[in-house]
Amino acid sequence: VEFDVKITSETPLAWVTVAGEVDVYTADALREALREAEADSKQIIVDLLEVNFLDSTGIGVLVGSLKRLREGGGDLHLVVTQPSVLKVLRITSLDRVFQVHADLDEARSAAEAGASGADKASR
Amino acid sequence: MSQETTSAKGIVELRVPADPAYLAVLRTTTAVLAARLDFTLDEIEDLRIAIDEAGAVLLSHADRSGTVLCRLHIDGDTLVAEVSAQTIDGFAPARDTFAWTVLSALADDVQATASDDRTVAIVLRKRRGGSGAA
Repeated sequence: VEFDVKITSETPLAWVTVAGEVDVYTADALREALREAEADSKQIIVDLLEVNFLDSTGIGVLVGSLKRLREGGGDLHLVVTQPSVLKVLRITSLDRVFQVHADLDEARSAAEAGASGADKASR
Repeated sequence: MSQETTSAKGIVELRVPADPAYLAVLRTTTAVLAARLDFTLDEIEDLRIAIDEAGAVLLSHADRSGTVLCRLHIDGDTLVAEVSAQTIDGFAPARDTFAWTVLSALADDVQATASDDRTVAIVLRKRRGGSGAA
């Protein structure tokens, strides 16, 4: 299965850039990458622009990371434009739970605002 | 390895090892078949995800030394996909999971059955030409 994930630290935030297909087979690698990113950042942006397939297992991994981050006062931001990925988020009503952004700059601004505590009111 | 056979009646059967690595094979085969049957791109994408979810649900209880069988055929304007596997407990798939929510939203109809030999089958139907159309 075509899949790649990389972490870029940009204190105080971290980017997790994912490409390819996220399913039961590849979800573990995504989970590991997110845990690694969580170790030094509370604001994480998951760039899913190059993800052409995401199933409920992948969604579950993202939800797990979101919960851990929010418990620690952080947040997980998704960057998604792929219609099928947006559809799965909508079906599970998680488009209202995650901060979903259409481009990287918007996600960066939201994460930076989160890092300085300025987005508390928006929840 | 996977094997694929097509009968004169247009039934496609695909048997793959009960291993997550092969879910992509089920997704791709289903998508290719749906494209050949003139399903729209949106419908093909729905099927790709639905088949994956059905396979993932079965794999969570499957005998990993066994296989997953995916049987596809067209019934009028409806693609019928029957995904089955030998499971360790003959479980009834939980309905309160993300997987089942996605599966039932993307298919027009979904049913799960368990046999005495602990084979569990998920049968999903997807109509061509837009959900909700007559």
